[in-house]
This record gives sequence, C-alpha cells and structure tokens, in this order.
Amino acid sequence: MYRSQTLALKYFAAAITFFGVMTITGLLSAYYYINPDFLLGVIPFNIMKILHINTLVIWLLMGFMGSIYWFLPGELGRETAGIWAAEALFYVFCAAVAVVAVVFIFVQYGGSNEAALWFINQGRKYVEAPRWAAVGIVVIMVVFAYNVIGTALAARRTTGIITVLMIDLIPLILLYLIAFPAITNMSADLFWWWWLVHLWVEATWEVLIGCIMALALMQLLGTSRRIVEAWLYIEVALVLGTGILGLGHHYFWIGTPGYWLTIGGFFSALEPLPLLGMVVHAVYDAGAQHMKTTNRPALYWMMAEAFGNFIGAGVWGFMITLPQVNLYAHGTQWTVSHGHFAFWGAYACGIISVLYLVLQRTRNLAVVESHLWKWSFAALNLGLVGMTGALLVSGFVQAFVERAIGGSTLEAFISGQENAWFVDGMVARFLLAIVFTAGYAVLVWDVVTLGRRAPAIAAVSPAQ
Amino acid sequence: MSALATLETGLLLGLYALLAGIWGVLWALAQLRPMRIFARSAFAAYGLHVLAALTIVSWTPLGFGWKCLIVGSSLVFLVIPPITWRLLQRTHDKERSEHDREPSQHSRRLVARL
Repeated sequence: MYRSQTLALKYFAAAITFFGVMTITGLLSAYYYINPDFLLGVIPFNIMKILHINTLVIWLLMGFMGSIYWFLPGELGRETAGIWAAEALFYVFCAAVAVVAVVFIFVQYGGSNEAALWFINQGRKYVEAPRWAAVGIVVIMVVFAYNVIGTALAARRTTGIITVLMIDLIPLILLYLIAFPAITNMSADLFWWWWLVHLWVEATWEVLIGCIMALALMQLLGTSRRIVEAWLYIEVALVLGTGILGLGHHYFWIGTPGYWLTIGGFFSALEPLPLLGMVVHAVYDAGAQHMKTTNRPALYWMMAEAFGNFIGAGVWGFMITLPQVNLYAHGTQWTVSHGHFAFWGAYACGIISVLYLVLQRTRNLAVVESHLWKWSFAALNLGLVGMTGALLVSGFVQAFVERAIGGSTLEAFISGQENAWFVDGMVARFLLAIVFTAGYAVLVWDVVTLGRRAPAIAAVSPAQ
Repeated sequence: MSALATLETGLLLGLYALLAGIWGVLWALAQLRPMRIFARSAFAAYGLHVLAALTIVSWTPLGFGWKCLIVGSSLVFLVIPPITWRLLQRTHDKERSEHDREPSQHSRRLVARL
C-alpha cells in the first residue's frame, strides 16, 4: 500500500469522527428548539450551531481529501509527491480543528477587535474559524493541490479525471481566501462571502465529488475510463453552467442589485436538468450490472448519492429557487430542509460509498456484505428524509405566518415560533435526528468491524 | 404574491420537479425491463408533470418569463432521459466494440508469428 493510501485511511477515520461530532451537535442544536433553556449559560445555541455546521464542512473536506489520497497513486502509478508534508499536515489539521472547537466551546466570544478575529471567531457564517486556523486551512489546501499537481508532474502524465481535479483545486483555494477580509460594509461583505459559500458548494465541490465518483465508478463497476471521463466532462460542464450564476439566488436583503435575483433564479432553476441526467445515468449503470457487485454498500450509497442529489438539490431547491417564493422562504427552516437534503445527497452519500470501497481493499474482502450496513443505510436515510420533511413543515409555517402574513416583524417571528405546526415540526425533526444518530452509530460499528466479524470469503488483490 | 399563493407555488414547483424525476427513473427502468407497467407509469408520471406545469402556468402568480421557463423546462425534461440513454448506449457500445477488437488483434499477432 502506498503511503498516500495509508494517509487516506487516517483522513477517513478523522472524517467519520467529525461526522459523529456534526451529528451530535446537530442533535443537540435540534433540542434547543424544543427546550430553549437547554444548556442555558453554558453553551448558547449559536455556538452549538457553529460546531454543527463547521464540522459538516470539515468532515466532508476530509472525506474528499481522503478519497483523493486513496485514488491518486493508483491513477498515476506512483507515490504522491510531497507525501511527507501531507502526513505532517494531517496531524496539524486535526489538532487545529480540536483547538478551534475548544475555543468555540469555552471562550465563545471576543471583543470587537483584531485579536478576536485572529484567535476566537471571524464571525462569518460557515467560516467562523479564527484567522490563524483559516491560514492553516489555506496551507493544507495548497499542500493538497501540490500533492495532486506535483504527482502528475513527477509521473509525467495525467488522466482526464486528474486534469479536471487539478483545474478545480485552483478556484477551490482562491475562493477560500474570501474567508479573510473583514469588510465593514455589510452589503459588500455578504456579496463576496456568498462567492465563497455558493461557489464552493455548488461549483468546486460538485466538480470534486464528480471526479471522486468517476474514480469510484471505475473501481466499483469496472466502467471504462473513456466512458467515465466523457460523462465527467458533460456533467461538470452542465453543473457549472447552471451552478455558477445560480449564485444570485442567495442575494436577498443584502443590498445587491435586483437583477441578481432574476439571474440567480433563472440559472438555479436549470439545475435539476443535469441532475435528472445523472439519475438516468445511475439507473443505467445499476441496470447494466443487474445491481450485482462485490460491494453492495458502495453501490447502494452511490445510488443514494445520485437520487439524493436530484431530490435534495433538484426538487427541494426548485421549490424555493424562483425569486417570488425565495423572497419568503429565504433563511427559514424551508432552506434548512433543502440544505440538509442537498448536502447529504450530493456529498455525504458519495464519501460513505468511497469508504466502503476502501474498506473492501484494506480488509481484503472478496465480497462486502453484512446486515449492519443495511440497518445504517436505512436509518441514516430514513432519519435524514424524515428530518428534511419535518423541517419543511416548520419552514412552511415561517414563510407563511412570519414572512408572508406577518411581514417579518419581531411579533411575526414570535408568532411563527409559537405556531403549533412549527413546534410539532421541530419535535419531529428532533425525533428523526435520533434515528439518524442511531444510523450513524451502526455505520461506525459496521465500518470498524467489517471483515472482522466473520472471515473474508476470499482475498482480493492488494490495494494499488 | 399572497401568503397562501407562496406556499402553493412552492409546493407545485417541488411537485413539478419531483414528477420530472419520477418520469426519468421510470423511463430508464422501462428501457432496462421492457415491461408495459414501467412504460405506462413513465408516461403517466410525465402526464402528471405536464399537469403540474399547466397548473403553475394558469394558476400561480409567477411572472410571464418564469412561466415560459417552466414550459421550456418541461420540454427539456421530456427529452433528457432518451438523449442520456442513447448517449450512454453509444459510448458503451463503442467501448465494447473496441474491446472486442482486442482478441482479434491478438490472434492477428499469432497468425503473424506462425
């Protein structure tokens, strides 16, 4: 096994750990809605929410990096360039995340000064990490880019997938630089901040997961490189074509010109079109294999990725993307519902699929099969779909009572929060979050014990 | 847009996209398993999708431009599954035929050696 693949295993272990932190902090965040006095004076809701959202970003990022470190040496036929730096930075990355989490939990707030920005919290949603940690993330991403590009240069060759990946890493890093400036003009700050958030999630990350899924498809179903690369180009072009200018669908109430709402609404309304193509592609691939594979968990999670992406990003997104609806739905639990479903479908399912592929190789399993993966698959997906359904109901109430009828006043906000449908929605969300958490626990148990509970049927060739 | 119309429009838009997805999946399944039930269900799903589109166009307070987008998207949704499927088949067939040529090249080398 290459050192890069050993590093990938560490990244997957860290990713699954932070997935757990995200799940627990999400569960606790959900409980605050039922009992607002929960942990009163100890940890406020916003800190729990910061931990939930930031660990989401971190575990997905670590999952992406683990996947690339896993596939890269096999793809280019050599050890990853500068692997020593990547190995050292893995520990720095984990330690930095732990320190930031400790600061969030125990320090929580700072003054309105530079020191607070550097050491406590940058105060910008999704990228709250203090500036020193943000600098660390840039260093880690630059080394990651060097690992990929340097390996291709050292190998004196590249593949279509790796070329797309290399091109994608440049905007991925450049966009993160938007996390730094502390622009005092709120409109200008939010304008650029959305570039980071939207263009990471709906552009560069989409390409990244597209590359990872292409590599995984070749390994899982033995699909030829030519087919996978041809589809990667088509799908990336379509997703970027509709996704980039979809940026405008976030520009509500921040002082941007009104034409952005039309541009954003139009392009993001086109987003379900390529996603439908991906679903048809998934059905084709599954049918061509008659759903038979040596790694059913990986196949099922990959299918869940295609379907979850269409429903979460496509259907849930389409509900709120046109400006007339978005005007009221923006920033309500309706959007939260869409966010949960889309992140789950587009990214989380894909990473879990790759994790099972990696386990098959590292545990030397001819066939990956267990009852546990089915339970975790069912509980995680049922929990997630249930949560998004419950959040949708609460979101409807907010859009209806608080926004459309009440006109977004404080009184309307209170009235929305006290509405029985809203409250019931939040209770249902909490109960289904417990189901999701149970699914996570079973997933971890399966991942840890897979191939160790019963002897492997036959050995496969060692990882390349 | 009235408060109720906001909810109704949002739900109709979601239903519209969901039915397009169901149409795509059922159409693809009909290609894999040529059973009438799949083909009929696929067209029924597309019929319902068109119904949702018509309801959005005639009943919701969306602007004219957005209604045109809904109609245009419905037409694109109709052709995406067949076009995708054909492209997939073509790329796979091409790959298969090139793969099938490999043994013949091998035998050609054998013949040359003989």
